[in-house]
Amino acid sequence: MGGTELLQFVLAGLKNGSIYALVALGFTLIYAATGVINFAQGEFYMLGGMLSVWAYADLGLPLPLAGLVGVMATAAVGGVFELGAIRQRKDGDPLALIVITVGGSMVLSSMARHLFGPNERPLPLFSGGGSVSVFGAVLEVQTIWILGLTALAVVGLWYLYNRTGLGRAMRACAVNRDAARIVGIDTRLMVTVSFLLAAALGALAGLAVTPLTQTAFDVGPTVGIKGFAAAILGGLGNPIAAVVGGLVLGMLESVSIAFISSTYKDAIALIVLLGVLFVRPQGILGRSRREKV
Amino acid sequence: MTTTRWYFASVVALFAAMAVVSLSACGAESDPGDDGAATAEPYRIGAVLSLSGTYAGLGEPEKNTIEMEVERINDAGGVHGRPIEVIIVDDATDAETAVAVTTRLIEQDQVIALIGATGTGATMAMRQEVDRAGIPQVSIAGGTVITADFHPLVFQTAWSNSLVVPFTLRYLEEQGVQKVALIADSGGFGADGVAVIKDLIGATSLELVAEESFNPGDTDMTAQLTKIKTSGAEAVLMWNAGREAATVAKNMAALDLGIQLVGSHGNARLEFIEGAGPAAEDFVFAAGKVLVPEAYAPGSDEQVVATDFIERYTERYGVAPDTFAGHAYDGLYLVVEAMKRLPEEFTAEELRDEIESTNGFVGIGGVFTFSPTDHNGLSDDDLVMYRVSGGVWTLEK
Repeated sequence: MGGTELLQFVLAGLKNGSIYALVALGFTLIYAATGVINFAQGEFYMLGGMLSVWAYADLGLPLPLAGLVGVMATAAVGGVFELGAIRQRKDGDPLALIVITVGGSMVLSSMARHLFGPNERPLPLFSGGGSVSVFGAVLEVQTIWILGLTALAVVGLWYLYNRTGLGRAMRACAVNRDAARIVGIDTRLMVTVSFLLAAALGALAGLAVTPLTQTAFDVGPTVGIKGFAAAILGGLGNPIAAVVGGLVLGMLESVSIAFISSTYKDAIALIVLLGVLFVRPQGILGRSRREKV
Repeated sequence: MTTTRWYFASVVALFAAMAVVSLSACGAESDPGDDGAATAEPYRIGAVLSLSGTYAGLGEPEKNTIEMEVERINDAGGVHGRPIEVIIVDDATDAETAVAVTTRLIEQDQVIALIGATGTGATMAMRQEVDRAGIPQVSIAGGTVITADFHPLVFQTAWSNSLVVPFTLRYLEEQGVQKVALIADSGGFGADGVAVIKDLIGATSLELVAEESFNPGDTDMTAQLTKIKTSGAEAVLMWNAGREAATVAKNMAALDLGIQLVGSHGNARLEFIEGAGPAAEDFVFAAGKVLVPEAYAPGSDEQVVATDFIERYTERYGVAPDTFAGHAYDGLYLVVEAMKRLPEEFTAEELRDEIESTNGFVGIGGVFTFSPTDHNGLSDDDLVMYRVSGGVWTLEK
């Protein structure tokens, strides 16, 4: 196998990996704010693509505007989901909340099925077709968009967390909710904001990928599971870890195809995931949260 | 509470929720058919279709077809002066659910025959119930296993892979191809096709130089295609019935493989052309003649039946019927025509025997002639090669 092919495998891994990373970021944000795994995260990915297609094809908006509508509308759905379902569980029992997110994911995909039909729907490439050559390997222009949007999302999150009052409040919430409440942070509001952001991130991934794969009402769970695995692999609750987890997972799959077999790529990725968790239960970059007495 | 215990709790919660939801899904859509003009006790037939889940896009045209044709049959006086009622239930593209709804159709609705399921997995899962009840089942799914794993009660209207694979391999040979790479989904239809291809390719002049797979829902196949690129293949044979086909076509175009992509009847959907866009150009696949009615011999019975069906369907639903609509049409009429040939009262066994004696039934998928050993009943004559050209299907010479 030549260097060009090797590079092509790396690029394929980065492409899938950055998709997983965007979805993983959503898991991580909500976990940090609530301590809950949001099983509806994959549906935000589905809605991002689906609502953009709806705005573009059914409403006739230009593509950039349609994409914006798709992401904003999905963020709104995320917010409404939090206000209407998550917040209603007053005691915040994590087990109950998880069941609520599972139910929510089914409601969202069924609604999409009824509103937009059972068939897959396409979206045009952001900037036409074409690809660039990177040392002989092919890099599709849409992949550059995916990588770029992921990078933008990470930088944006970093800025939010480290340079804004809202971000600091969210971090305070993640570290210790009761203490955050005592110093006057509206922890309920932080939960809503994290759902809004998580939905927007998932939607961004869905929007960026749809031109390559089309979208349908049932695309959520598969990507959701990959994103979840990436978040666990990197270490829950840490945005950088989510990105690392996503990229590692994508590369693992690609390397499995290159050197072993495409039949077992998911199994191999899963075995590595289990192996990592065995050695580091908190994930690659996760901090151990074991409390000392 | 430690984090470990917490993960454990979440996983348990998830599975509990899944179990609850899948149980409640069993009580899904039930559609009492049109009761028509006749008031006599209707003949009840059950149809197990995938109206949600992965194959929802296939189940919808199937449901449309059955509803339209049941109305037509009843308006024309039904069967022996009695209306027919087709009870359509959703299996959610899930084998377990298919078994549950089949049991209900048999026990509660006392159906005399079953149409379905949409998918191969669900069709096979229904077999135990069909066997227990002793009623005929006409599957509209494409898996070879349905009729290869022979059961006297089970018939099949879709072109099975054991028919389409040799037809497609012969096409490749005629094109002068020698080295073929295979890419297929790991699910039912893809795995079934791969098994048949590997079984038959030894008897041809073709050589399999690469074998790659992907999972339903995968977003990128660049890595698999890069491997194929290094294999020296002269054509890529793809066996898949899902939306991933469009991604394969696009990835191939992006990587500039420059070799022919040949698909299967699983790709005979407009969504593939829309999804793959320019990458769909020159895509070649084998399927029945319904996609381009000119493929039927002019003036033949087949052409008359198909043209009439296509016109009525297009008028009612605003889109042309696809191959899956055709499979449902054939499934329904194979049962109904057999019922018409029988006296008003008949047993399930007599109905089975009568379906098996079907000889030269002109349907949409082709001309069916069943025998005690052939429950698919179609032949090579019912298939043609298509080429996507200018964004539409055209006949490949």
